[in-house]
Amino acid sequence: MLLAFAAFPFYLFSLWKRPLLYVGLALQIAYIISRGLTLGRLPLVGPHDTLTFLSASMIAFSLPFHRRLREHLQYYSWIALLAALFTVFALVAKQHNTPLPPVLKTLWFELHVVLAFLSYALFGIAAVLGALYLKRHDSLLESMQYRSILIGYCFFSLSMIFGGIWAYLAWGTYWLWTPKELWTSILWLFYSLYLHARLRQEWMGRPSAIIGIAGFAVVLFTYLGVSLLMKSSHSF
Amino acid sequence: MMIGKQLLSFLLSLRTAIWLLCLLIIMLFAGAVIMPSHQEFQSIHAMPLFEWMNVQASGITWWLWASVIILVLLSANTLFCSIESIIKKRKATQWLLLISPQIVHIGFIFILLAHLLSSLEGFKGNAVAQEGTALEIAGSTVMRIKSIDLQIDPRGYLTGWSVDVEYLADGAVMQQDRLLPNKPSLYKGFNIHVKDLQAYPFKAILLEVSREPGALWALAGGIIFMAGTITLIVLKSRRSERLSEYI
Repeated sequence: MLLAFAAFPFYLFSLWKRPLLYVGLALQIAYIISRGLTLGRLPLVGPHDTLTFLSASMIAFSLPFHRRLREHLQYYSWIALLAALFTVFALVAKQHNTPLPPVLKTLWFELHVVLAFLSYALFGIAAVLGALYLKRHDSLLESMQYRSILIGYCFFSLSMIFGGIWAYLAWGTYWLWTPKELWTSILWLFYSLYLHARLRQEWMGRPSAIIGIAGFAVVLFTYLGVSLLMKSSHSF
Repeated sequence: MMIGKQLLSFLLSLRTAIWLLCLLIIMLFAGAVIMPSHQEFQSIHAMPLFEWMNVQASGITWWLWASVIILVLLSANTLFCSIESIIKKRKATQWLLLISPQIVHIGFIFILLAHLLSSLEGFKGNAVAQEGTALEIAGSTVMRIKSIDLQIDPRGYLTGWSVDVEYLADGAVMQQDRLLPNKPSLYKGFNIHVKDLQAYPFKAILLEVSREPGALWALAGGIIFMAGTITLIVLKSRRSERLSEYI
């Protein structure tokens, strides 16, 4: 549990000393690996594990943008703050240490969940880039937001496809009408809207940056809101 | 003639796609609010979607009907825009970059077609069974449950299970199979899977027999969609790398 908490101060102090961000990430990855080894499975069931993974993914994905965003130091501060926030939430969330239900013991489930959270991380980074663009009006930020969303959209679509294959094998149908699936569709359509709207001149820049930011609010509701407030096939 | 032109320009417009996407999001949002507050949605998986929509009150299904209409318009818009784009850009140099969004669109159409097929002709049936139970599944074919094996750890958690079945026609065994978690039994187009299990006071399973005519279309659509998306990302990143070399 100490290792789970260890990343938090490093993320916070990285606001002053950026290399501490890498230390925090290394500690969080070490925690995920150690938890996976202890449980004997992919540690991605329940909010504790998924929030930790989301936090680490956000930091890891933010690094490739480093080369192009050297002049935007605030970018790192916001990513570090978000990662620290998710780490705190993960710490207060209950750990899922019981054996996995048999239906979750499949590669399709693992791919489905890993890709979903990698996409959430990219959508989070896109929201930060969008917010910075609104403040600084640097078109590089907007272009980076687009890249982040495009790759996130690809991961998210793959996650939905793997989820469909898994559902067909587990429940005989590739689609279930539950609030989680409905919100997942809303999320996918929302980013489809972003990608199409950005093609039009009048939607480029500020409007599409705002859609990209709002998309992350939909992500958070789809991930946390629906799971906590509604019953669905994603509750195990 | 004038109406035809207006209709064509409506179907060929990216603006139409954007507004249809907005409307669809609003409809699904309405559904997300209505669905958890109405018991009727508990039976939505018991029959094909369109059959279910027909027997329910329009007060709770209007958003589904509206979504279907929007999806039909969106499909037509997608098709028209894709065809126009291919015709316009057929002589372009970076043809693969220009064609990959259209491949994504074809994948999307396939997935919608899959949902349409399953919503029209899908089938679902449930039955509770024990060891020795025989169930008629298709015409004269009977499925018999040979054995149910449940693996439960000392703490009482179910860690695995298997169900052995055999298919009989006129008393003769046609096929034997073993159902496992995430491994249904596929027989003559039917998907037979275990939905729930009971260990005490006696071993029993809740079986679901289903037919999803859209499943293969959905898989094909998914593969096409991803092929287009990945091609688009790879080509775009290569192009931007080349551009950044010049800058």
